[in-house]
Amino acid sequence: MSHIHVAVENLSFSYEKNEPILQNVSFFAGENDAIGIVGHNGVGKSTLLKLLVGLDLRFEGSIRVEEIPLEQNTLNKIREKIGYVFQDSDSQLFMTTVEEDVAFAPRNYGLPEAEVQRRVTAALEKVHIEHLRHKAIYKLSGGEKKLASIATILSMTPDVILMDEPSVALDPKNRRNLIHILNEFDHLKIIASHDLDFILDTCNRVILMNQGKIIADGDAKEILTNEKLLNENGLELPLSLYKSDN
Amino acid sequence: MSKINRAIYELQSIDATAKQNRWMNQIHPLVKLILTIYYIVLTVSFHKYDVEGLLGMCIYPMVVFIIGDLKWKDALYRLRIVLPLVCIVGIFNPFFDHRVVATFGSVQVWGGVCSMITLMLKGILTVFASYILIATTSIEGICYAFRLLHVPKIMVTQFLLIYRYITLLLTETKRITQAYALRAPGQKGIHYKVWGSLVGQLLLRSMDRADDVYESMCLRGFNGEFPFGKPKKSAGGDVAYFIFWVIVLFVIRTYPVFRLVGGLFV
Repeated sequence: MSHIHVAVENLSFSYEKNEPILQNVSFFAGENDAIGIVGHNGVGKSTLLKLLVGLDLRFEGSIRVEEIPLEQNTLNKIREKIGYVFQDSDSQLFMTTVEEDVAFAPRNYGLPEAEVQRRVTAALEKVHIEHLRHKAIYKLSGGEKKLASIATILSMTPDVILMDEPSVALDPKNRRNLIHILNEFDHLKIIASHDLDFILDTCNRVILMNQGKIIADGDAKEILTNEKLLNENGLELPLSLYKSDN
Repeated sequence: MSKINRAIYELQSIDATAKQNRWMNQIHPLVKLILTIYYIVLTVSFHKYDVEGLLGMCIYPMVVFIIGDLKWKDALYRLRIVLPLVCIVGIFNPFFDHRVVATFGSVQVWGGVCSMITLMLKGILTVFASYILIATTSIEGICYAFRLLHVPKIMVTQFLLIYRYITLLLTETKRITQAYALRAPGQKGIHYKVWGSLVGQLLLRSMDRADDVYESMCLRGFNGEFPFGKPKKSAGGDVAYFIFWVIVLFVIRTYPVFRLVGGLFV
């Protein structure tokens, strides 16, 4: 794994004319950054993540991953470096068993079977679901599916992790485990979430979005404790901070 | 369990059966695929009046069900829709072919009856042979075997993705019908007035889901060829199994084994 960065400049995107989803979004994500993208429903958090992995290339502006511009002919090269966890685990898991799904990426990249198996074992151990290795996907619970989804990208040993609402469907124990995994991952990670406590536990930097624009970009604690700023943009203080106040 | 749930469960349970760690499941997929094709070709090649010869072909599914630890009950249940259709195929033959081809005492057997029985047998045996293949080989294994036979990768990938799409479509159907049923208590089925919007929703949602799945595959390095993994190399046992059945089935097809054996007792 190498340390890489992502540079986004004047990124604008819309599905339909006159209905912009993202407007002139610019930020630089350094190699060790842990960035939380927060904002209320429909501000373009998921769209931003999808654009970062090139799931839609009809954007204006530029996205560069380690100085490589994101475009059709660089997609494969960039996607090898980025692991993306979907909001809906059912969209991420498509093979019949957990093992096959986790092995999908390493096999696609042509790794020898012994290495594929080593990576599958390591990824499953990391998220503590070794016991689900041979289990059929359809038999998994929502939380187990989420963990399996995360394992599918860990087996790619990515340089960057992008996660869309990763804490959804996780019980407290698995949530804590995921926080631990993310904190151990010492490369760039960008997490879009409504769960501000989760962001507070995993990110050192926060990008606050509203109406497709970046409203604030800075230290996570500074932004997430600014009640006025959060309220103005349709959010509330993280629950853990509420408790300490009252 | 609702019909859709049951359909999803059956599909998944066939997958699970195919992935079990049993002796038959460990045989190389290519061996099983070629053997199945060979068996089907031999079975359909029997003459339309050759009921006696065709009965010999029953040996293959009977033996494989035993050694493969497959359950007849499960097979008959899973094939409950296909088998009657297969049996219907030749049902009108007795009305058109009155040629006498055999007599048992004073009972004359018409050619139409014989051809109806052979058509039914051919259908049933080929369906069972296909069932044996899918119950002992995962879909990825079958696709891998197709690729080894140089079937174009686009066809194999399409085959696999369509198979995946069936589950996806059923899952979406389940979600929609559940959401409908919860807001239409006591109502049996779905009211015809909402059929149009539900089918439209189903199509759009399943296409969306299929799109998401495709994106997920692309993000993990999918470039048009599915990574089927590498099943173990053919062992001596696989080759022996293959040769054994090739010879046995060829002998049954070529010689009237049952008549010869029967002749020993007459």
